[in-house]
Amino acid sequence: MTLDWSVVWQHRDALALGTATTFLLTIATMAIAVPCGIAVAILRLYGWAPARALATGYVELFRNLPLILVVYWAFYVLPILTGLGLSPLATGLAALSLNVTAYNAETFRAGINSIRRGQVEAAMALGMSRAQALRRVVVPQALRRILPVLASTWVSLFKDTSLVSVIAVTELAYVSMQVRAQTFRVLEMLTAMAALYWLLGYPQAKLVDWIQRRFEVHE
Amino acid sequence: MDFDFTVIADNWRFLAYGVRISVLLSVVSGLTSLVTGLIVALLRLYGPRGVRMVVVLYIDSMRAIPVLVVLVWTFFALPIVTGMTMSPFMAALIGLTVHLAAYAAEIFRAGIESVRAGQTRAALALGMSRAQILRRIVLPQAVVRMLPAFGSLLSVTIKDTAIASVIAVPDLMRQSETVAGQSFQPIEVYTFAMLMYFVMLFPVTRGVDRIYRRIAHLGRS
Repeated sequence: MTLDWSVVWQHRDALALGTATTFLLTIATMAIAVPCGIAVAILRLYGWAPARALATGYVELFRNLPLILVVYWAFYVLPILTGLGLSPLATGLAALSLNVTAYNAETFRAGINSIRRGQVEAAMALGMSRAQALRRVVVPQALRRILPVLASTWVSLFKDTSLVSVIAVTELAYVSMQVRAQTFRVLEMLTAMAALYWLLGYPQAKLVDWIQRRFEVHE
Repeated sequence: MDFDFTVIADNWRFLAYGVRISVLLSVVSGLTSLVTGLIVALLRLYGPRGVRMVVVLYIDSMRAIPVLVVLVWTFFALPIVTGMTMSPFMAALIGLTVHLAAYAAEIFRAGIESVRAGQTRAALALGMSRAQILRRIVLPQAVVRMLPAFGSLLSVTIKDTAIASVIAVPDLMRQSETVAGQSFQPIEVYTFAMLMYFVMLFPVTRGVDRIYRRIAHLGRS
């Protein structure tokens, strides 16, 4: 077995570009999935009955599907449904957003529900309006409970972006496997890919632990 | 838009084989990661210092590396290192176990740590050994508390088996890709696959929830 690790350094530009795309996908997906998740959660909690049922159905469906299947499905179905020729990147972004929005919606709903009803009633007894009670009493407390969950969703999302490689989005996993196929340096490239994910993901996982300790709620 | 779902009927056996492989891989890798996870958790909690550090590094690493990467590495790179080839199913089983055992270990650890230390001290005072305490006092309570977390881990396991299609395990995902490619009817095939995965996953999440609500009182102390 002769190994030639220089192949990794030779393709550093491609790998850097892949890494950038991975981060871009993670950031863009979260930027879409947080507001959409809030909207779905509000629909589920306060919407009128049909909207509530629709929101619940959406959340349950996407929480119970493998993401890789959603990626394939989006790749073949979205162009037909929308009539648009979407790029792989846009399709991957759509699939990831559909998935993470469902998880975020559940996080927000649980966060709001975790604040006891008595607090809203007490705030209203003090003369606050329902909106004020929500803004001043419920949301600040709910945020402390939501943030750690969002942080761990972030790390899962960062790893899950690797799945859009199956529709040829040029993120880190796809680029590494491309180089592997061109150079036949299988062990070197796959190990480099794992090492890069580890280097990028490890600090994020540690940061999540810190956030969870920092925002732990004691009752 | 015309949909023609006869493609599902025509390839029924082929797709059903995929469902069988998906279920088999889920059950087997679920069991192996449970057993491995328990061992890892015990090493992390009670092992010697050096072992504990290695175990923590392993767990945190698995939280940082995507399953896809673990699976691809196990299937393509591991045989180069060991000189042994293995079937896609075997590689998927090893890769999934290595990945999921880390998560199972964290669940075991959290469950075991959630049982108050006073109970262990009381049992020690009564003359029980460490192993006895774990078996008779700690684990019976911890297992009940861990149930919801293991329910979601099982659902993650089923979802992760779909990623094994990337290394050519003939599971439902892979079989669907094949049928979709041959029939040029990806919409029908993938929608059917979605339905099948939902049917596999939804009862798991709901079922675990219901069982837990019935036995939750056993875990209180």
